[in-house]
Amino acid sequence: MKVKMRGCLIAYLGLALSLTGCWNSRELNELAIVSGIGIDQGTKPGEYKVTFQVVIPSATATSQGANSGASPITIYTSNDHTVFGALRKTSKQASRQLFFAHTQLLVLGESIAKSGISGVLDIFERSHELRLNTAVLISRDTSAASILKVFTPQESIPSIGLSKKIQNTSNVWGENQRVDVFELINKMTGEGGFTVSGLRMIGNVEAGKKKSNLEQSDVETTITMGGQAVFKKGKLVTWIDGPEARGTDWILNKIIETNVDIDAGEQKKAVAVNVLLSRTGVKVELREGIPVFHVNVSEEGNINETKSSVDLSNTEEIIKLEEAMEKLTKAEIEQAFQAAQQTGVDYLNFGNELKRTHPNAWRTVENEWDQIFAKGTLDLKVEAYIRGTGMRLAPFMSPEK
Amino acid sequence: MRKEVIGPSQLFAMIVLFELGTALVVPIGLKSGHAVWLSILMALPGGVLLYLIYYDLYRQFPELIMSGYTQKILGKAIGWPLSLLYIPVLMFNGSRNLREAGDLLISSTYDRTPILVINAIMVIAVMYILNKGIEVFARTAEIYFWIIMIMGLVCNFIVIAAGLVDVKHLFPLQADDWWDALSSAYPSIWIFPFGELVCMTTVLPHFNKPRKAKRAGVMAVILSGLLLTFTHAIEISVLGENIYSRAAFPIYTTITLVNVANFIQRLDALVILTLIIGVFFKMSIYCYAATVITADLFKVQDYRKLVVPVGVIVLFSSFMSAENYTSHLNEGRAFLKYILPLLCAVIPILLFLVHHVRKRFGWYR
Repeated sequence: MKVKMRGCLIAYLGLALSLTGCWNSRELNELAIVSGIGIDQGTKPGEYKVTFQVVIPSATATSQGANSGASPITIYTSNDHTVFGALRKTSKQASRQLFFAHTQLLVLGESIAKSGISGVLDIFERSHELRLNTAVLISRDTSAASILKVFTPQESIPSIGLSKKIQNTSNVWGENQRVDVFELINKMTGEGGFTVSGLRMIGNVEAGKKKSNLEQSDVETTITMGGQAVFKKGKLVTWIDGPEARGTDWILNKIIETNVDIDAGEQKKAVAVNVLLSRTGVKVELREGIPVFHVNVSEEGNINETKSSVDLSNTEEIIKLEEAMEKLTKAEIEQAFQAAQQTGVDYLNFGNELKRTHPNAWRTVENEWDQIFAKGTLDLKVEAYIRGTGMRLAPFMSPEK
Repeated sequence: MRKEVIGPSQLFAMIVLFELGTALVVPIGLKSGHAVWLSILMALPGGVLLYLIYYDLYRQFPELIMSGYTQKILGKAIGWPLSLLYIPVLMFNGSRNLREAGDLLISSTYDRTPILVINAIMVIAVMYILNKGIEVFARTAEIYFWIIMIMGLVCNFIVIAAGLVDVKHLFPLQADDWWDALSSAYPSIWIFPFGELVCMTTVLPHFNKPRKAKRAGVMAVILSGLLLTFTHAIEISVLGENIYSRAAFPIYTTITLVNVANFIQRLDALVILTLIIGVFFKMSIYCYAATVITADLFKVQDYRKLVVPVGVIVLFSSFMSAENYTSHLNEGRAFLKYILPLLCAVIPILLFLVHHVRKRFGWYR
C-alpha cells in the first residue's frame, strides 16, 4: 500500500511538471508586433513587395516616444511570390518573430491594385493570427510602403492613426467607408465591382519618415483620405471623389452621419444640416431586360449653422429647407449613379440585390450585366426631415442690414 | 454492485450536449446554401421520430441495451454479428469528433502542438469519466449543460449586439432553396446530428423513470434542433453564404469578427471552450456505447475494463484515419452517406418493424 502511494505521488509530481507551460508559448519579449502591412507590386512580375510596420514597445511606452528619441516603429520590407513567403523572409532582417494578431491596417499599393488584389487576401482568411477585421485602404498615387513609413501626429503608431482616421471620417463625413478584410472578401465574391477607400500622401516620404516631421505644428508630410478606388474583377479601374463618393455611400446605405450645405432661397449653400440618420432601401427589377433601380433614401438631420437670414422659427421655411435638402441629396446620388454608369462598373451593389431577390431574372442578364447596368434607369426618392435647429431659432441680424 | 441510475434532467442535458457537440462548430448541410437553417428545421421532425423509435424499443426491452434486444428480435445468428458492426462504427465516429476538435484547436491556437498531445489529453479525460461510471458522467452533463447554455447566450447576444447580423443573407427563400434545403435535410442532417442519437440506446437502460424518457428526450431533441438552427442562421447572416461554405469552422470565424467598442473582442476562447465541452460529451457517449456493446457481446462482466482499450483505439484512429483535414472531411462525407444511415436509421427501424410484427403475430417463444 505504502509503495503504491509513493508510486502515485511520483507519478503526480511528474505530471505536474507537464502542466507548467504551453507547448506553443511565445513570450511577449520575443515577438515583433506588426501594426500595419503594406503590399505593392514586386520588382519581378508575380512578386509582392510586402512592407511590415513593426511596433517598438520601449519607444511607445513613454508618452509619444518623443523624449527617448527612438522611433516608435520600424519598417521591414521583403519581396516574395507569396505574402507568407515575404513574411518569413523578413526574419533575415528582424530579430524577433513577427506577430500579427494586432495588425490594424492593410494598405494595398496602387500598383498591386491595378494588377489585381484577389491573390493577396487569402492569407488573411486562412491564418489564425491575422484578423478579418483589419481595415483595408488603397494608396493613391504612391506606394503602400511609403504610406507606412510616414509618422502621424497624435497617434505614435501610424497604422493605428490611419485606421482611426478612416473610422473617424466614415463616421462623420461619409465620403469614405471603412472596409475591412472580411467585407472586402464578401464584396469580391459578390457580383459586379466594389469600392475601397483610398489614402493620399501630401508632401514627400523622405520628410515624413523622419520623426522631426512631427516637431512642427504644421507637419510637412501628412496622409489624408483620398476618395474611393473602384474595382472591377479585383482590379482598380478608376477613382471617385467628393460628391460622387458620398453619393455612392448613400446608395450603399453606408452614410452614418454627414453634413450637407443646402440653399436657403436665393442664398446658395447657406445652411449646414448635420445628417444624423440616413436609411437607404434598394429594389431592383428588370423591365423588358432593362433594369430599374428603385432607391429610397430617408434622411434626418439638424440645422447646425446658417449664414442666411431665413427665419428658422417658421415651419414653412423649414419645409422649404427640407425640399432643398432633398434636392441636394438627389443631385449627389444621381451624380454618383451617372459616374458609375459611365465607368460601366456596378459598384453600387445592384447586381447582388437583383441576384438575391430575383435569381431567375438575374440568370438572364448575368453575362452582360455591366452593359445592362449602364443602360439601367434610376428611380430615386428622397425624403428629408429637419428635426432641430440647435440652440437658437431665428438667426441674429447684424445692425447694418 | 448497485445499478447506476440517471434522472430525466440528466438525460435531457446529455442529449442536448451530445447533439450540439460538433454540429455547432462544423458547417452542416452544405448543399442548401443560405437555407441551412431551414434544412435543420426540416430534419428536426425526422430526428424526433427517430428518437421515438429508439424510445419504443427501449420501452419494449427496458433492461437491455441495443445489442441485447437486437439479438432478441433478430435471433442470435443475425443479431450478434449485426451488433458487432456497431462497435467499429461507434468508435470511428467518436474518433472523428476528436479529430475535428483537435484540428480546430491546432488551426486556431496551438499551431505547433502535435495533434497526438491534444487528442491524448482529451481522451484521458474521457477515459477517466467513463471509469467513474455513467452516473457521474450524467451529473457532469447536468452541470455543463448550464455552462454551455450561458456561454451560448452570451456569444449570441454579443454577436447580435455588435451589429454583425445581416438578415439579408437569410432571405428571400426561392422555390429552389426549399428543394435544396429538403434534399440536404434528408438524409444528411437527419443522420448527423439527429441520427447519432442511436448511442443513447445504450444509456437509456440506466434511466430511473422510464415513463419520463419520452418527454425528456423529445424536449431535448427539439431544444437542440432549435439551438442549432438559430446558431447556424446567425453564422450565415454574419458571414454570408460564400464565407460560411468555405470556412472550416464558421462559428469560430463568426466570433472573431466581434468587436464592440474596441473593448469586447477576441472571444475565440468561448468558442474553443464550447467545442471542447461538446466534443468531450459526444465522444464520451460514443466511447461508452462502444464499450458497453463490446462488454455485452463478449460477456465481459465489468465494462470498465474495456474503457482504456477503446479510448486508445479512438485516440489512434483519430489521427491515423486521415492524413489531413481535407481527406478527413471527404471520408466523413462517404461515411455519412453510406454507413451511418444504415446504423442510425435503417437497422433501428428494421428492429422496430420486426419486433412489432413478431409481437403482433406472437412469434416470440
